[in-house]
Amino acid sequence: MSAAETAAHREVEKLYSHHHGWLQGWLRRRLGDRAEAADLAQDVFLRVLARQGRGVPESIDTPRAYLSTIARGLVVDHWRRRELERAWLETLAAMPEAQAPSPEARLLCLEVLVQIDRLLDALKPAVRRAFLWAQLEGLTCREIGERLGVSLATAERYVAQGLRRCYDLRYA
Amino acid sequence: MSGVLPDAVVDAAIGWSVKLDHGDPTPAARAAFERWLGADPQHGLAWARVAAMRGDLQRVPPRLALDTLQSAESARRTRATGRRKLLQGLGLGFAGLVSIGAVREFTPWQRLVADVSTGVGERRTVTLSDGTRLALNTDTAVGADLSGDRRVLVLHRGEILVTTGPDAGTRGHREFWVETSAGRLRAVGTRFIVRLDGARTFVGVTEGAVDLHPADGGPVVRVAAGASRWLDRGGTAPAEPRGFDPGAFAEGVIAGRDMRLADLLAELSRHRHGRLVCDPRVADLRVSGVFHLDDSDQVLRFIARTQPVEVTRRTRFWITVGPVSKNS
Repeated sequence: MSAAETAAHREVEKLYSHHHGWLQGWLRRRLGDRAEAADLAQDVFLRVLARQGRGVPESIDTPRAYLSTIARGLVVDHWRRRELERAWLETLAAMPEAQAPSPEARLLCLEVLVQIDRLLDALKPAVRRAFLWAQLEGLTCREIGERLGVSLATAERYVAQGLRRCYDLRYA
Repeated sequence: MSGVLPDAVVDAAIGWSVKLDHGDPTPAARAAFERWLGADPQHGLAWARVAAMRGDLQRVPPRLALDTLQSAESARRTRATGRRKLLQGLGLGFAGLVSIGAVREFTPWQRLVADVSTGVGERRTVTLSDGTRLALNTDTAVGADLSGDRRVLVLHRGEILVTTGPDAGTRGHREFWVETSAGRLRAVGTRFIVRLDGARTFVGVTEGAVDLHPADGGPVVRVAAGASRWLDRGGTAPAEPRGFDPGAFAEGVIAGRDMRLADLLAELSRHRHGRLVCDPRVADLRVSGVFHLDDSDQVLRFIARTQPVEVTRRTRFWITVGPVSKNS
């Protein structure tokens, strides 16, 4: 372990021992669930650890503001995921039992969907539609342009924007 | 090889993917792509990444993915425009939007054919236009057709508790039927439970009586109040009592005396995501009590406190209940 990493760990340990209880309470008030608050608090510290481990550790002057900024992002992700899970289950429930994927396949599908959902959040509606039609329905850019009433060049640009966003989330 | 590729290279790879995968490339365009790909190792890496990314996207069944994303989006929009708008929407007969908690409770089914469903961990009660009360257990989907000479429910999956209504409509008292893949049942002024379990259907009657009609023919069998039976395509068989009060889910609990631990956990797992595994060595322990479905973690903690078992969490989605390990 490098000196920088050791320093980062020490910083996170200090944060944890001073503010973990406060953070968990903060999360519980927002989520209304003790177990979920405990899980998310854990995730917050994992994020902090990842950030601090990257190069030079950030100095943290206002620890609670720092933690709650990260936590707020995770709470939004959490609700977003909840909504997606609910939609997923309702879609599955509406399917005939015989066509529904196996429990293992379901978990995998859901994970990919969560990623797509997060990705789409940052795209404007026309780009989102173009991207989904291209990637999931296999439409060509010409067909997408016709459906959206835009030129071929614009449809190509939309699909490319979606892919670029996808790339950035995954490799940046 | 890893690391950050220049933006221009990434954009070029994406541009090729758009042209080749979502267009009608000419032979000249394909040749130009091959030249680009061979011109620089970074081009090859960028192309491999874009291809891997597209592969991931194609791992999900497209129809399922699109429906899910669309429905999540419309739920978010609905929530954003507020409850008032939602109620107006329901008034206009948006069966597809009937989805948010308590609102459903007050939505009479005016539509001739409508569908209602619950996800894992959800339960819900609706009143149909003929006065029938319908309680849906976790992970359940039902269709209803109350427009014809008979009232018909179709149970697609899961479990329902039906309390048939007076049907004080224009056509007098109509017969009440429930269709399942194993066969059909006719209710005779009654309160009963229907539950799909693989290829079989469990029917438990608490009031009145229900006639079972196996799908492939065979004799019709009447189930009286207090009794329960399995229905499958070829016939019917008496159902062993499992110590449960079968209608308790409508009150949000599992209630019973001397339930096998394995049966209780199997029941509980229907209300949770992921796996809940019962080790065979503790399967026959006996449990009595009233367990609240809204907090199944609490139920697991209670079981761990009161029984000689240990609850092991591999992940949030994979929990094992087994004997207490010797070194603890």
